[in-house]
Amino acid sequence: MESMREIIRKKPKSFLSFLFLLLLILIFYSATVGTVDIPFKRVLAIILSETPLIGSWLPAFEGSDRTIVINLRLPRILLGVIVGSSLAVSGTSMQGVFKNPLASPFILGVSAGGGLGAAVGIYIGISYYLLPLFAFTAALGTVILVFALGRVKGKTDIATLLLAGLAMNFLMAGLTNYIRYISPPEKEFHLRILTFMFGTLNGSLWKHTYPTLPIMVIGLALVFAYSKDLNLFQMGEESAKQLGVEVERTKMIQLFTSSLLAATMVAFTGVIGFVGLMMPHAARLIVGPEHKKLIPTSALFGGIFLVFCDTISRMMGEIPVGIVTVLLGSPFFIYLLVRNRGETGW
Amino acid sequence: MVELEVDSLVTGYSDEKILKDISFHVEKGDFLGIIGPNGSGKSTLIRALTRIISPWDGSVKYDKKNIEKMSRNEIARKVSVVPQDTFINFPFTVRDVVLMGRSPYIGRFKNPDKEDIKIAKEAMQATKTLRFEDRSVRDLSGGELQRVVLARALTQKPDLLLLDEATSQLDIGHKKEVMDMLKEMNENKNLSVISVHHNLNLAARYCKKILLLDDGKKHVHGRPEEVLTNSHLRAVYGVEAEVHEHPKDGSLYVSPVDKKIRSEKGGKKIHVVCGGNSTGTLLKDLVEKGYEVSAGVLNVMDSDLEKADFLDVEVVTEAPFSSITRESYKGNLQLIKKADIVVVTDFPVGEGNIKNLEAVKEGVDHDTDLILVDKDNIKERDFTEQNRGVKLYSEISRKKNTKRVDSTEEAVRSL
Repeated sequence: MESMREIIRKKPKSFLSFLFLLLLILIFYSATVGTVDIPFKRVLAIILSETPLIGSWLPAFEGSDRTIVINLRLPRILLGVIVGSSLAVSGTSMQGVFKNPLASPFILGVSAGGGLGAAVGIYIGISYYLLPLFAFTAALGTVILVFALGRVKGKTDIATLLLAGLAMNFLMAGLTNYIRYISPPEKEFHLRILTFMFGTLNGSLWKHTYPTLPIMVIGLALVFAYSKDLNLFQMGEESAKQLGVEVERTKMIQLFTSSLLAATMVAFTGVIGFVGLMMPHAARLIVGPEHKKLIPTSALFGGIFLVFCDTISRMMGEIPVGIVTVLLGSPFFIYLLVRNRGETGW
Repeated sequence: MVELEVDSLVTGYSDEKILKDISFHVEKGDFLGIIGPNGSGKSTLIRALTRIISPWDGSVKYDKKNIEKMSRNEIARKVSVVPQDTFINFPFTVRDVVLMGRSPYIGRFKNPDKEDIKIAKEAMQATKTLRFEDRSVRDLSGGELQRVVLARALTQKPDLLLLDEATSQLDIGHKKEVMDMLKEMNENKNLSVISVHHNLNLAARYCKKILLLDDGKKHVHGRPEEVLTNSHLRAVYGVEAEVHEHPKDGSLYVSPVDKKIRSEKGGKKIHVVCGGNSTGTLLKDLVEKGYEVSAGVLNVMDSDLEKADFLDVEVVTEAPFSSITRESYKGNLQLIKKADIVVVTDFPVGEGNIKNLEAVKEGVDHDTDLILVDKDNIKERDFTEQNRGVKLYSEISRKKNTKRVDSTEEAVRSL
């Protein structure tokens, strides 16, 4: 393990290529799993036949297998990749800005805000398609409120910001609970709110996948562009300034980008816990804290992990994927922690 | 290259004014020490010089350019800072941290090139951190980390280096090593240095000029011998101090004058022969027990001396890094003769301080109790030629009324 890590740290590009390949294989494998099992070869053929350029050379498929793979499973799997990598990179950015390995994408109230938005939406009975808009607005609104509270004399004070986030998390969760308490007793109703709070990829269609894609691309690019500054942040804000970082600007861009990433993903899938907090950790254990390596590794870890968990969720009869991420992730994380205790520094 | 001009600078935090009208300038090759009591504005000045805080009035200029009009990268290429302490939460390697010093020169999407790596290597060599370049900064001692941060500051290739009590965490050996290295770079490589010092003697020994701050204002600015005078020190620090010339190189050093504040219990007199941070809590414990405590011979800047000063213990002092002179030998001997009990701690014995043992041999007579703190390791801590320390020690331990104890705590209990 030790020498393995040395090798990985010396050849980060090969390691990233390996992870990318792993993700591809997992995507294909995941498309075979579900209420109907479709053989791997057939999945491969169906997907290749639909791929631009290559597809025109291959025989086309018709029928239910094609519908299941292309219209149901693929958008869901790709949404998993997008959400997983976005949450992981959002967490990496948050942990970098807060200089704290316990920060998560939800630390500024995104999840609690999104939860309240969804609960309100479900309570007043808006259409299923408007729910993401409700959740997104509430999530981003909460973060903006937290930012406003955390601003002291024209500067974003980290400690005040964290406390403001904590307070808003409690407030929003309290309001959500209140709505759950006063809402009608039908089981269906509560299940929808609960499912949102656990997070699920079930029922995702292309129309959910498409809007998240540009947000992910822009968000990941913006975080990656600041990897050098995030490294320097770890020397302390004052030292970072003295090393040439425009600290206030960096902080605002990073906090806004990571909140936007998290808010968008929460809007479409509900609150999928664990990924944003733990994937940066796992990545840091393997490639080290340097952000140019850490950010792409986190992104791939997040994508792989969430698709893997969602595959299991489908195998186990559609339990919300947020439950799987926590149940699978925590023991694995405890294992990593015990194994590396004392040597990683956090 | 660099010329720093501070003109009528006024600044502070929110509504508290800290610096009140400060002007001075630093030219290429200067080595300026900034001293002053706590709260006099030393660290605030360092922060104003790197635009961590902006001037309320007046200006800070580098090469005639106002700092308010410079980008952070531009400032970082001219000035680098070694802060008092650094806390890094994530396990970066030493090499990673030192290379961060190149960031003002490297574009957002570029990686360090060979030249950058070479500069970082040189800085690590100079600060003796190269041999642990692969280690995580989380596993370093305070002193090691401080040297890594210094290497990072040098890797910035500044014209001006700012040190904010940067050596206060280092032990006396590393303190001297780092300051000697900076002196060398200042003299041979034209690196200008501004260093804030809590320790007047460090400032006196290394700085070409000293700026003495008092309550956010410039009290006096000039050569060490102009600034470190009894009257200036009394006016600003409110203490009586003696200013001496170092017997070897003529540099100045300052020692507080014995304040004659003694325990009112009128207890027995105890003299502690010590040095090299060997006293632990001994001095404090003895003072608290009501003994009249004295100590010697201690070099200025020895941490045992800092404790003694703090406790108002009467001390025979010697210039920093200097051997015991005839004069301080006599002072020590007198205190030993006056004492009812003499305690000898397990300090390392070298050519410089073997006179401490000679004074014990000569001064301790029949009616004096002698307590030797010794873990039976005199051979290991004897660095004199021909084992003179060991021989002397065994002669001393044959004296009447001699007790051997394992630790300073046991020494206190045995009284």
